[in-house]
Amino acid sequence: METQEFTGKTVRDALDAAAAEFGVPREDLDYEVISEGRAGILGIGAEDARIRVVVPNEEDYEEITDEEVIENLHDIVTRLLSLMQIDAAIAIAPTPANAWDSSEFTVDISGDDLGVLIGRRGETLSALQFIVNLMLAKRLGAPVRVAIDVEQYRERRMKSIQTLALRAAERVAETHQPITLEAMPANERRIVHLALREHPTVTSQSIGEGDSRKVMVIPRR
Amino acid sequence: MKELVEYIASSIVDHPEQVEVREVRGRHSTIIELRVAPDDMGRVIGKQGRIASAMRTLLKAAATRTGGRYVLEIE
Repeated sequence: METQEFTGKTVRDALDAAAAEFGVPREDLDYEVISEGRAGILGIGAEDARIRVVVPNEEDYEEITDEEVIENLHDIVTRLLSLMQIDAAIAIAPTPANAWDSSEFTVDISGDDLGVLIGRRGETLSALQFIVNLMLAKRLGAPVRVAIDVEQYRERRMKSIQTLALRAAERVAETHQPITLEAMPANERRIVHLALREHPTVTSQSIGEGDSRKVMVIPRR
Repeated sequence: MKELVEYIASSIVDHPEQVEVREVRGRHSTIIELRVAPDDMGRVIGKQGRIASAMRTLLKAAATRTGGRYVLEIE
């Protein structure tokens, strides 16, 4: 096991230096603190923190290319749809930057009569996305977040929830009475919270348990 | 349906060669029995049963196309 020493003002700085050197996330480093370091007074008597880091095995961190992700993703989704006897076309593209989604790629599934793939409150779509992410992570050996959409259902739904949230906020701001929205899954409740995060006079809070968890829009004190 | 469960399960476990799926036809529904290596149980069930429940949801969706009722049992 090869090790290398790194120094920095603090242990954290030394870790950052090591992470940059090896090109791996800080939390993946295996290390031992030799000295915590001292701040000293006006720089007098200061001592750098020193750590000994195990040089990561390069094979564990082989870069995963976009082509590799897309190819595997395409293969997984195509196979799943065919096993579910769903006839549809799929298109994979990098996810456009937006507030509600931190995925790297989006698979858009299109075809006729795909309601079955969306399910009640998008339940089937969420299950599909969850399973595909697991399968992909296992294949690539590292998690790559992907979103799955059917005929832009998610996008439309997100936009309508944003509108709903803002409309509720307007009413609450006027009446100073809280409003409880219909029950929503976690990803949809998040959209409401995000939409109202910066609102000057109202705020939002989730209440209830499990399937009946919903967002309440309340006046800010 | 059996192939669907087989494909998903063997793609997420550490020992795909030990994945076994059987279809048992009953009068009202078909039971799909999934067996995996003991240390892979967590991988097909997931935290709070999330993975198993996602598989059941997909199975249900697939069944609306083909007709019939399917029950997934993990053992």
